[in-house]
Amino acid sequence: MHRLFKWLLPILLFSPSTFSQDWIRTGTGLGVEKVRLAVPDFKASTQDAKNTDLLKVFNDTLWNDLDNAGIFDMVSKSFYPLGPVGSPPDVKFEAWSAPPPNAAMLAFGNLGASGNTLTVQGWLYDAKNVTSPQVLGKQYQDAATTDAARAIAHKFADEIIFRLGGGIQGIAESKIYFVSSRSGRKEIWAMDYDGANQHALTHVGSISLSPRVSPDGSRIAFSSLTRTGWDILMYSVDVGRLVAFPRFGGTNLSPAWSPDGTKLAFSSSRGGDPEIYVVDQSGSNLKRLTSFKGPDVSPAWNRKTGAQMAWVSGRSGLPQIYTMEADGTNPQRLTEEGYAVSPAWSPNGQFLVFSWIRHYGPGAPGAQDIYIMDIASKQWVQLTHDGGRNDFPYWSPDGRHIIFQSSRSGSEQIWTMLADGTNQKQLSFAGSNTQPNWSWK
Amino acid sequence: MATAEIFFEHERWSRNLAWSLGLHVAVAGLILLYAVVGPSSHGAGWGAGGGGDAIGVTLVNTIPLPAPAVQTENVLANESKGLTQSLPKVEEKEKEPEAIPIPDKDVKPKKAPKETSTKRQKPQPEPVEANNIVPFGQGGPVSGPYGTFSAGEAKGGFGFTGGGGDFGTRYGWYVRVVQQKVQQSWLTYDVDRRITEAPRVYLTFDVLRDGRPSNVQVEQSSGIPSLDQSAIRAIQRIDTFGPLPSDYSGNKVSVEFWFDYKR
Repeated sequence: MHRLFKWLLPILLFSPSTFSQDWIRTGTGLGVEKVRLAVPDFKASTQDAKNTDLLKVFNDTLWNDLDNAGIFDMVSKSFYPLGPVGSPPDVKFEAWSAPPPNAAMLAFGNLGASGNTLTVQGWLYDAKNVTSPQVLGKQYQDAATTDAARAIAHKFADEIIFRLGGGIQGIAESKIYFVSSRSGRKEIWAMDYDGANQHALTHVGSISLSPRVSPDGSRIAFSSLTRTGWDILMYSVDVGRLVAFPRFGGTNLSPAWSPDGTKLAFSSSRGGDPEIYVVDQSGSNLKRLTSFKGPDVSPAWNRKTGAQMAWVSGRSGLPQIYTMEADGTNPQRLTEEGYAVSPAWSPNGQFLVFSWIRHYGPGAPGAQDIYIMDIASKQWVQLTHDGGRNDFPYWSPDGRHIIFQSSRSGSEQIWTMLADGTNQKQLSFAGSNTQPNWSWK
Repeated sequence: MATAEIFFEHERWSRNLAWSLGLHVAVAGLILLYAVVGPSSHGAGWGAGGGGDAIGVTLVNTIPLPAPAVQTENVLANESKGLTQSLPKVEEKEKEPEAIPIPDKDVKPKKAPKETSTKRQKPQPEPVEANNIVPFGQGGPVSGPYGTFSAGEAKGGFGFTGGGGDFGTRYGWYVRVVQQKVQQSWLTYDVDRRITEAPRVYLTFDVLRDGRPSNVQVEQSSGIPSLDQSAIRAIQRIDTFGPLPSDYSGNKVSVEFWFDYKR
């Protein structure tokens, strides 16, 4: 009897209730703060000589990914209890959840190389929940190289962000495409989201601008100066070279993929006046959307629905941001003053980010800054201030970050920030780097 | 000579075909056999999956959780009153106040005046000066059309009792995700401008296994249609809260969410 009770008790206490109707009761005004996350350095699990380097890369990458995510309040390492935490038995809950670190969540684990194999075990614990703390437990295996260690750190960080960030995929594995002149010509370059691994993609040898990667990440459309003028070119990421795309005549600029990847919008002056056109992703079935005197450029699809488009029009004088349905009907003007360019639609379809000189003209200071506008209410906020010209903003796939180009450091460089304007960081340093574009996932 | 060789190959080929056929039949048979016999061993591990598509992943589940199949029956036997009463949830809400929430609900109206005094002013164009330069020390995150409720006025609390499940205590982190997400997606400019203060709106909705909200209903109206609507829209605006915890065995969680509106 006693034995039976001993066996039953933990079951009664901890078992999940299959048929229960679980309720959560909660509300607004409860003071939602960022999750306090502690990430002690991972511990070496083997005696391999490579461990030191791999651990350093892994720990730095993981910390940066989580720090950049924008949803965590990272607990400073100087507050951590002494002693390494490499596996669940090492966790002393009171030491982590009590005031000095005061951590709500704890990410820890171990890493070890043996021969050419790298094994990483990682856990995410709810530090204040002693009875069932585990939120996540993962094991990864890959080659024992620093690149693999970085990749695993990205994956583990993304898992944590996915769980604690409300089901939004992390961006640690996303890519950024941009224009760089560091080889002498303006070519299309690519880099990891954190600025690592910068490398050239195209070698067209003229001037290439405004890269836009397709939603599946397989192709990059950009505009380039060719023998016949400015044309839309197509670069295949899969085969690593340019692939055929029709030429339309006139000046063709600023391509933009529809969110389902079946269509490409761009600006073309083939009929005289620059207007917005749409073609299928193969280049066929050309259709004109706008027809009004004055330039129409820089289309940007509603990334959630694909049913609307924002663009820049000079029909009323200075360039302003407009929206229309994807078939060209119902144009609406969003900005009422100044000089507004480079719209980009947020992944949730709710906001536009754009670059705006609100007071433009003689006597006005003319600062060019990044703004976000809520489309439904036309309420806007200013994200950058007091620092050079800021242009070409673009959203990260999680909608929490914005990448843009800024001249505040003296030359045009790529910067990122959180979508609330905080945490501004410079990603590129060599040469001049402009017109960033973030991959869709 | 040559023909003889061809004949030879023909013979061999048909023999291989027979082998191949036999093996395919054997494999198909094994799969069928597994489908019939397998499920018992298959069912035990399904809940442990991490759900990610990471490289070479094996989930390291260190909590010595009892396997769901047997124990849930035990739980039902013990707590079935609470567990199976999913329909009369309104009653349960009445029962619940005996613990924490009732003092809260009572206290709330009294606290209200204090909060209005500490409330942050709504940022409008005015903080931006004519020259676009934000004065020193006034930078930092903007509070614009989103994040309207990042107020530090932590009041009340949340109870996770009711239906008898222990979701709230086991998965506190998920509850926080739900709370944060709803709060972020509530845009209060939908609400009638003339309203400065309103009674609480209570909504209920379900969070499905994949994290989608569904079945949004007003449980108790504030009496102000535009406020009720804005609360419903806050939930509808959310695509997903993220999948329910992988070791949670239920297929949905019900949420009661209240909205306090003050301008």
